[in-house]
Amino acid sequence: MKRFRTLAPVWTLLALMLFFSVASESFLRPINLNNILVQVSTLAILGTGMTFVLLTGQIDLSIATLVTLTGVISAQLFLNVKLAEPWPTIFAVGAATVLGIVSGFATTKFRIPAFMTTLAMSLIASGLATWISQGRTYFQISEVPLFLGSGRIGGPDGFRVLPIVAAICLLIGYLVLRYTRFGRYVYMTGANPSAARLAGINTNIIIGVSLAISGFCAGLAGLVNMGRLGSAQPQVIESYLIDTIGAVVLGGTSLNGGRGGMLQTVAGLLIYGTLRNGLDNIPQIDPFMKEFITGVVLLGALIINLLLGGRARRDKTP
Amino acid sequence: MCASPILELKQVSKRFGGLQALEGVDFDLHEGETHALVGENGAGKSTLMRILAGIYADYDGEYLIDGEPVSLHSPSNALHRGIGMIHQELSVMPELSVAENVFLGRQPLTKAGTINWRMMNRVASEELEKLGFEIDVRQPLENYALGIQQIVEVIRVILSGARVIIMDEPTSALSPSEIDRLVDLINALRSSKRSIIYISHFLDEVMRVADRVTVLRDGRKVATLNAEETSAPHLISMILGREINATLPTASARRSANTLLSIKDLSADVFRDVSLDVGAGEIVGLYGPVGAGHFDVARAVFGMYRFDTGSVTVDSHPFPRNFSARYAIKRGVAYVTESRRTSLFLDVENYRNITLPHLSRIGGFAPSHSREVGVALPAMQTVNVQPCDPDSAVGTLSGGNQQKVAIARWITFPPKVFIVSEPTRGMDVGAKNEVLAILRNFRNEGFGVLVVSSEPETVLAVADRIIVMSRGKTVAEFENTAGLQKEALMGLI
Repeated sequence: MKRFRTLAPVWTLLALMLFFSVASESFLRPINLNNILVQVSTLAILGTGMTFVLLTGQIDLSIATLVTLTGVISAQLFLNVKLAEPWPTIFAVGAATVLGIVSGFATTKFRIPAFMTTLAMSLIASGLATWISQGRTYFQISEVPLFLGSGRIGGPDGFRVLPIVAAICLLIGYLVLRYTRFGRYVYMTGANPSAARLAGINTNIIIGVSLAISGFCAGLAGLVNMGRLGSAQPQVIESYLIDTIGAVVLGGTSLNGGRGGMLQTVAGLLIYGTLRNGLDNIPQIDPFMKEFITGVVLLGALIINLLLGGRARRDKTP
Repeated sequence: MCASPILELKQVSKRFGGLQALEGVDFDLHEGETHALVGENGAGKSTLMRILAGIYADYDGEYLIDGEPVSLHSPSNALHRGIGMIHQELSVMPELSVAENVFLGRQPLTKAGTINWRMMNRVASEELEKLGFEIDVRQPLENYALGIQQIVEVIRVILSGARVIIMDEPTSALSPSEIDRLVDLINALRSSKRSIIYISHFLDEVMRVADRVTVLRDGRKVATLNAEETSAPHLISMILGREINATLPTASARRSANTLLSIKDLSADVFRDVSLDVGAGEIVGLYGPVGAGHFDVARAVFGMYRFDTGSVTVDSHPFPRNFSARYAIKRGVAYVTESRRTSLFLDVENYRNITLPHLSRIGGFAPSHSREVGVALPAMQTVNVQPCDPDSAVGTLSGGNQQKVAIARWITFPPKVFIVSEPTRGMDVGAKNEVLAILRNFRNEGFGVLVVSSEPETVLAVADRIIVMSRGKTVAEFENTAGLQKEALMGLI
């Protein structure tokens, strides 16, 4: 029974896929399934970082603006400062990582809740992006992000690079969380911070590094996003933040920390992607209703997850 | 007394599962009386108190107020009937002002329906002045000492209309001058015809304030006496149920040659000038009633409680002023807290709970399940965790076994100093003995063991040397010799 419960997101996913394959003829076509993967790839990269942060019991509200900032920095360095690759990429992703470190430092050193520090950081990042770009869009980008975001391997009909990047990201995240000491500390810090400190874990470092990882992932996501669109602009895609948190939590990672993981995030991403894509594939649905339906189904899936996955603690001894 | 009691309990019994907490207890209270309730931990005082305060509605027997049977469903119900309780942990709101605390939940309103601050401040000020306190009632309560906070809570309860005030261990964290003021307050309450039920470990205090004393033992009432008819030693013998042993503690001369833990003049808010040493191959018992500050001394040695002055030295290495638990662990200090929820991850497997501080030594970069279990399993077997399954979650074990897992954490990579708070709390006799045997093994293997407890039996059972703390200071230090019994400790606090 416990197995059934922890796999709740998987059942939800299968149920959705079943529904859409019946409701729409175009859903199950390979090209469409491939589309789902591409559509969630950027979210997957963001979700990797967010999984770490949520597991430590914190949150990162700055990822969407870091995505924008990374694109702007890379384009600015490439086009106007005329730096050759790989420097624009390194500086751009590096900047996002550094800002993640700053958020981490402010959160742990000054005991400001991560909610606040990352909120402030999101303003800092979007402000920097606007200032660097002077509000203008860059219509030309370098080959590295272009390749990652829009490139293909094996000719014009080959595999898109983007899902591969996302998969690598998720895989590395999974290996770190599951098999390394650091990953263990991440779980423990989120599960019970005081017990973690009593056991000698430096929870400040764990939280700080997790926020740095989230910054890095946001930077990487910023690169591929720019590559996908073919341009860099200082406007922030706000939905990235909510969609990322939504997908990660949907998969079963707890907002309180200590429970969840990369496999859960993958499940959540696929559910999310399937839902969005599936609705697009049913032409009879009023396009204006899609967002409403997405919201309703998400709420339902979350409730089912919580009902099936929740455990009341037996021992009430303090 | 000829007047009839304002409050009576008749043949009250209460059971918790298999435990009979109270059996056929009679209790009565007269108007204007201060009636003390004494007994050991577990004698039934808390249970009786909670029935009186309306916290427990489910019991056998009768509860009469002014001769009429009542059944109280909740503390606020009780307060309506005039029975208020001051818990050991105060229910004050430290960030609110003194006046706001006095009128908590009952703020006076203006005709417009807003809070009448002026009246609130004026009345609060007046009430405090009546008791000899001139303080600015607009300041946040947390700016004032615990003694004042407690008095504010008493005033709050009185102004809510309480005729009966139940005080649970009111003085365990107070300074002597604050205790004097509390005694004055009690006398003032007595002359205003209010009644007090006074629960305390400190028998000399009880003798000072009480008109009558009721002794509970193992859930039954032993006796109710007028204060003039008894004395502290007499109460002790009734509490324990036997003649008290006259063995007096001998000052300790024996010190282990190799001092592993040395605390000098450690001071914080709840303890002052605490000094003690623990040598290799000895068990030191740090005993005190709850509120004495000894548990916080233990936390301070592990870096989890900030102290203001003094020093901690482990194996001749002085610790810096501010250090973390991590630092303490690296220097060979192990600590098991009295609260399992703070030291264990209840939803996580046993083996992970055990290997956590030592992951770097076990597996390098990537810990492996088999290696971790290889470390955890023998540790679990040594402390005899039942059932011995490294892969099940700690939360599925009984409280006693959880405690063993918390101890098992420190077995494979032995520390130099092992500090354990309330090692046998909530355990049955069998588990208690097992844990105490484990502690003796630690001692025999050369660790320095510091056992911190509020249960006299625990320290008497294992310690070589006993240090007694009361109200934040060490008051005695002596050998744990053969004839020593609980009364020796009880007489010292």
